[in-house]
Amino acid sequence: MAASSFTPILTPRGATSRARRAALGHPARAGAVAGVVIVGALGLSGCGGSGAGGRVSGGPRTPVAAITITRTGDARADATSYLRQLCPKPIGGTLNFMVWEGYTDTLFAAPFERACGVKINATYMGSSDDLVAKLRAGGAQTIDLISPSSDAITEIIQAGLAAPLDTARIPSFGTLMPGFRALPVARRGGRVYGEPWAYGPNPLIFDSATVLPRPTSWAVLWDPRYRGKVSVQDDIATLYMVAQYLGLDDPRDPSKLYNLSDADLARVKTKALELRPQVRKYWQTAGDLTQLFESKEVELGEGWPLMTHQLRLASYPAAEVIPREGTTAWADHWVLTTGAQNLDAAYAWLEYAAQPFTQKLLADVTGYIVADPAARSYMTPAQAAGQHDIAEYGAHVNFWQWGNRRDKYQEIWNAVKAAR
Amino acid sequence: MSGVAPALGAPPPSDAGGAGGAGGAGGEPRDPAHRARPATRLDRLRARRGWRTLLGSVVPVSWAVTLLLVPYVLLLAQSFWRLRDGVITHELTTENYRRLFGTPLYPATILYSAGVALRVTVISLALSYPLAYVLAFKVRRHRTLMYMAVIIPLWVSYLVRAYAWKIILGQDGILNGLLLSVGLIRAPLTVLLYSTAAVVVALTHIYTPFTLMPIYAVLDAIPVSLREASQDLYAGRWRTWLHVTLPLSLPGVVAGCTFAFVLSMGDFLAPQLLGGNDSALMVSNLVWSLFGVAFNWPLGAAVSVVMLALTLALLAVAGAVEARGRYGQVATGAVAEYAGPI
Repeated sequence: MAASSFTPILTPRGATSRARRAALGHPARAGAVAGVVIVGALGLSGCGGSGAGGRVSGGPRTPVAAITITRTGDARADATSYLRQLCPKPIGGTLNFMVWEGYTDTLFAAPFERACGVKINATYMGSSDDLVAKLRAGGAQTIDLISPSSDAITEIIQAGLAAPLDTARIPSFGTLMPGFRALPVARRGGRVYGEPWAYGPNPLIFDSATVLPRPTSWAVLWDPRYRGKVSVQDDIATLYMVAQYLGLDDPRDPSKLYNLSDADLARVKTKALELRPQVRKYWQTAGDLTQLFESKEVELGEGWPLMTHQLRLASYPAAEVIPREGTTAWADHWVLTTGAQNLDAAYAWLEYAAQPFTQKLLADVTGYIVADPAARSYMTPAQAAGQHDIAEYGAHVNFWQWGNRRDKYQEIWNAVKAAR
Repeated sequence: MSGVAPALGAPPPSDAGGAGGAGGAGGEPRDPAHRARPATRLDRLRARRGWRTLLGSVVPVSWAVTLLLVPYVLLLAQSFWRLRDGVITHELTTENYRRLFGTPLYPATILYSAGVALRVTVISLALSYPLAYVLAFKVRRHRTLMYMAVIIPLWVSYLVRAYAWKIILGQDGILNGLLLSVGLIRAPLTVLLYSTAAVVVALTHIYTPFTLMPIYAVLDAIPVSLREASQDLYAGRWRTWLHVTLPLSLPGVVAGCTFAFVLSMGDFLAPQLLGGNDSALMVSNLVWSLFGVAFNWPLGAAVSVVMLALTLALLAVAGAVEARGRYGQVATGAVAEYAGPI
């Protein structure tokens, strides 16, 4: 299950989508070439040793033997043989997660639990704000690992709720996508706070059978032909999109989009109000939008690759495009909280999360673009085609940031919704 | 209560607490012998009963204080804090209220919500009064069954009912399919779903039982003799209803309407699920976003305080209407009033 035919370059791909869909879920062919891979320069094979109690053991660890496995091309089998070396002895204890749904899926979390003897307790977060609010209310003391998006992560680091990562304890950190690792949102004062995990843009999704010709600009949302056929997110993210359409996104300063001036916001509001008669319904959840498409209520809108993926699985002729004005995107990192207790288990998880087979399994579950390019070696060509390096997008995507005027944005968004 | 103590002569030390519970017994004639003997078994029993009453009042009082009073006071305090650069600072300000009344969004949304709630109330009343009337006076057999048929939807999850309306009202839905097949319309009606109409329909469906129940309870309690007396005096059915049944049922109507109005005005799921481009925002959605994504708790608290004040004002008016003159009498009490002149 991949995000399949999602391409940053504006090429027609409706014709190929069917073939790609047919290939979804098949075992990897590209990864069939077996080989010995040095997974990390510094192994974590000794992680069960001194940390038997599962308590804090700060400071960089001494390098241990590198973990090497013989790749079979089967992600699950490789995960199992890798984990056998990662945790020769059970670490024990528990790890408390607060994550986006799917990020502790049993597909890859259960083998970790078994091999490392760690009990995983996962809570799902409803939104970035939900996570920030829970951490602020003392959650940082009871939760070990979180997976904030690129907006919440800055706020969490600034509020002192995140612990800096000791990358020496995550030998595979360096194998992750360089562009992803370089995102400024996960860094502060020369320290790294986040391990890249997955990312995705917010593309324009449309019904390839009825929305013709294939759109290349957000302008299509304002096209009178699609009056009452549009759905956009019930979120300030829609204001970002409108601002990008108006050309207010400065490629040299991505943060501008999230801190627009009153004058710019007034323009955004006017344009968003013009969009209102086009909108059938503002969607709240991924399920909302797919249902709107399937029940023939809408034909186009802004969404996530996940929805295109789900619609195609339901044989709906969905297509997606990054319009030429660009779009926003989210990037999720693994972050350690300041209250994290079981550090040995947490670092074992972080190292495991940075492996190509783990990332391939994550892509299977979510259809998102994963942080390790090597994960593609486990994928079918169709699934791999949905994976992109951050660098490919260039200035076309702007990763969500935490603006200081969120309540102002929210008030404008509510005013747009309240217009009658 | 203090009047009881001297009558007892020398009250036992614990009587201060006991008097509260013994108050009801104050009027009873007492055995004179008790005056001579302080702290008899009876006194101890009375004292113990008093303690029990005191203990019994501790629970509801502390319930009200911790779960009602304290949260409301905190909410009120929150509404006067200042939000500075995304951080709530504890300095007093009226800024939130000025922004609330100074930005058209907030009053307009409150008015819109009140408009929706009013429509829901009127339709709920129009549906439930005749239904309650029939249930109370016309149905003999299967009355409980019919009453249950109205009440059972209350046990069905709100979400299930809201999603059911999506299936019924959608462009691809049951109602549009029906209208298309009988040829009443040529293209599916879009106004049915994702519109104010859809929100009103769903809220009416959800809150009508709340209107029906108090009206039915009041109608059911009206003695048949009153209506028979009216008819004996040559009043027709219509006059009987207008001059006897209706005035007696008004307390139930007021209670039912208050339920429907207050509950639907505070609803946020129906606009979220069934509202469209002009109807997805009611006042509770605003509060939700202010406490959520906007992280402006002080303003959210200010909106909540205004809503609370409006609700309390409405309840006060409803209470006054219920208490007014003969309409305030419950049906059984009214018997005496009507029996008087006879």
